[in-house]
Amino acid sequence: MLEFIIGKYNFWIYIILMMIGFYAMISKNNLIKKIIGMNIFQTAIILFYVSIAYKRGGATLPILTDADAHAHGEHIINMAQYINPLPHVLMLTAIVVMVATLGVALAIAIMLYRKYHTLEEDEIIKALK
Amino acid sequence: MIVTIITGAFLIYGTLDMPEWGDPNSPASRHVSPRYIEKTEIETATPNMVTSVLADYRGYDTLGETTVIFTAGASCIMLLRRRKKKG
Repeated sequence: MLEFIIGKYNFWIYIILMMIGFYAMISKNNLIKKIIGMNIFQTAIILFYVSIAYKRGGATLPILTDADAHAHGEHIINMAQYINPLPHVLMLTAIVVMVATLGVALAIAIMLYRKYHTLEEDEIIKALK
Repeated sequence: MIVTIITGAFLIYGTLDMPEWGDPNSPASRHVSPRYIEKTEIETATPNMVTSVLADYRGYDTLGETTVIFTAGASCIMLLRRRKKKG
């Protein structure tokens, strides 16, 4: 039972963090708070992927050391020696997408503020009617 | 709030089938990542595996990423530009 909890608790923490962001996205009235919730959501996903990359048992960062780099194939690199580089690469892409969505969302918020002079969602909807 | 709790409960139910944290034989680290780790020095001569995967093995992904950045920048400029008033 304890081993089960140790094997899974970090996924649960990321799910709780993700749900905090989701709650902020769907229930907050201020548009900036919604954008902050979206960022929390995306950060939880990034943490989740990076935790998938981890390998127990002495695995290090996926950068070859000098001794390995000059071996040129004579020394066979063991798969368990380095953590999985693929989730890190995918999350590099996800960070870029996160910055792009954040920028466009803030630009749209600035446009709305210029037009309606408020960032509260209910006041904007009232002004639209 | 209720929607949030229901979604979170479903996601936690989904983690019950996931491999344990730090398991070296989890499916995520068995398919292509051993090849990246073992062949990156021979094929790309780059000591940093993240760089070699990003720029060599998955270069098209990075190309698409620059398209995303370009589109976002262009749409930000289009949204934030103050137009000159006519007349």
